[in-house]
Amino acid sequence: MKKTIIDAHNVSKTYNEKMIPVKALQDVHLHIEEGEFVALVGPSGSGKSTLLNMIGGLDEPSSGTVFVDGVEITKLPENKLIDFRLENIGFVFQSFNLIPVLTSKENIGFVLQLQKVPKKDREKRVLELLQEVGLAEKINSRPGELSGGQQQRVAVARALASKPKIILADEPTANLDSKSAANLLDIMAKLNKEEKITFLFSTHDQRVIEKARRVITLVDGKVDSDIVQTPT
Amino acid sequence: MFLKLAWLNIWRNKRRTLITIASVFFAVLLAITFRSVTDGVYENMIHNVVSYSSGYLQIHKKGYWDEQSIDNSFEANEQLNQRLLSNPKVTQLMPRLETFALSSFGDKTKGVLVLGIDPASEKMVNQLDEKVIEGGYFQSENDNAVLVGSGLAEQLNVKVNDTLILIGQGYHASSAAGKFNIIGILKLGSPELNGNVIYMPLRTAQNLHGAENRLTSLSIMLSKTSDLEGSKNAVESTIDTDAYEVMTWKQMMPEMDQFIEADSAGHYIIIIVLYIIISFGLFGTLLMMTFERNREFGILIAIGMKKRLLAFVVLLESIMISLIGCFMGILGGILLVRLFTEYPIQFSGSLQEVYEEYGFEPIIYFSGHPRIFINQTLIVLVLAILLALYPGYKVIRLRPVEAINS
Repeated sequence: MKKTIIDAHNVSKTYNEKMIPVKALQDVHLHIEEGEFVALVGPSGSGKSTLLNMIGGLDEPSSGTVFVDGVEITKLPENKLIDFRLENIGFVFQSFNLIPVLTSKENIGFVLQLQKVPKKDREKRVLELLQEVGLAEKINSRPGELSGGQQQRVAVARALASKPKIILADEPTANLDSKSAANLLDIMAKLNKEEKITFLFSTHDQRVIEKARRVITLVDGKVDSDIVQTPT
Repeated sequence: MFLKLAWLNIWRNKRRTLITIASVFFAVLLAITFRSVTDGVYENMIHNVVSYSSGYLQIHKKGYWDEQSIDNSFEANEQLNQRLLSNPKVTQLMPRLETFALSSFGDKTKGVLVLGIDPASEKMVNQLDEKVIEGGYFQSENDNAVLVGSGLAEQLNVKVNDTLILIGQGYHASSAAGKFNIIGILKLGSPELNGNVIYMPLRTAQNLHGAENRLTSLSIMLSKTSDLEGSKNAVESTIDTDAYEVMTWKQMMPEMDQFIEADSAGHYIIIIVLYIIISFGLFGTLLMMTFERNREFGILIAIGMKKRLLAFVVLLESIMISLIGCFMGILGGILLVRLFTEYPIQFSGSLQEVYEEYGFEPIIYFSGHPRIFINQTLIVLVLAILLALYPGYKVIRLRPVEAINS
């Protein structure tokens, strides 16, 4: 039996926008097992990013609990939560993911440095990661010298640097052309398959949805459907 | 890595950083120049007055200062001299017999300060011989001769080789009167002293006043002038304080000390205003650097960077910008101070007259004391840390999800 990696119970989030409450999430239950490759879909404002933020510990639910790898992250104090993210969760954001003044090598190495990995091991790991995302030759390039797709691939490499159990990606292909998007998805799928890393990503993109093995649809902050499919 | 990150961050907007650095540079340069000039003028003023009149410390017979009469003189004592010189802070002793007399030449008379001095030690301490602008310096301790301040010489209309008559009161109500050959005219740094002083060898002064082997004061020159009270205590511990009193130049000339304090306070206010102005510039830059990277900060916190580490990077950025400007300012300051120490600015014409009228030497001396440079560095460093507190606080309070969505 596979281990549960993400377990969300009755997660609700209400924002108080100008005194008018906005329900971003309503009693969401989510159960994701280790090694799954899950797409979170739904129209804008359906609560995809909010749910990802709850699971990543970037935001607190108004009610409900979130367990990641058996740890109730909703109860962790701030510094412990940051440490937990560093060790267990990789993030890929929609855009402007990387520190613009650092090279690819330094951006990826930054996470390893936060983990206090020795320099020699750090350099080895950075090279491995860049090779995995096919950007070894861009090791000394700064984000401004890379295309959008290449930047996202470096962001994926950085998310993988700490050997996390989960990678949360918020619309990672939203700003990419179709070729770059497909390339990024292939890399993510390969890492999921070979390294058993759990991927949970939000998307609007139909081509991306087709690559997922499980598709959870959110509508108005509620889980509308949860379908297991065969990726194309 | 964090040092490198901070360094790279400050150069994201080169022009803005350079402008901020330039503002720190000019502020530090101005502050150093300002402090150097004021300290230089004060140091010179103190040195002039101290070395030609009081010494940094002075020993008298107990009670002399309250009643400055030759009757309150004390006997020169070689043992006392040896005990004082055994103190490492004491560099030189200047025995003096100081009285007032009426000077007369032709139909002109004027009250004067008569300083009986040891020609050799005065030559060593204040290079009195170099102040002679006409004639020469004392040849022996027994010369029946006097040196006259140039201002006084002008008033009495005397010149070298004229004979000056001095009439005054000697020891224990004896009368003191004598004729003395003017062997030289002096131009002293202190115009006030210049206008009313007469120097004569100590033995000659003692003979004139019937005060054989007696002194009114023993002036002490020190190697370290900053710890005046400490030096005074050290001297007091080596002498019989029931018989002698020790005074600092500040006690003897409180009006000069108060003038320096008051003048210095005024200058500090100007420097504070200067630093407040650059603080706003630096603070603006730091705020812009922080707020324009809000999203980036959110991402860094999301990937596992602790907020206090992030605040530390912001602090490093503030310190780096400030210190670059500060070190450049110090470098410029050192060059400027060196230049004007070598070639002090000398006033001439009416400005010279104004300075002399107010009792100042018409020369702008610069002080190269390391304290000036160290103080400016410390001030800028403290400012950099204080100014980084607010951006650092904003980073600590940052909510990553709001920052990422900003």
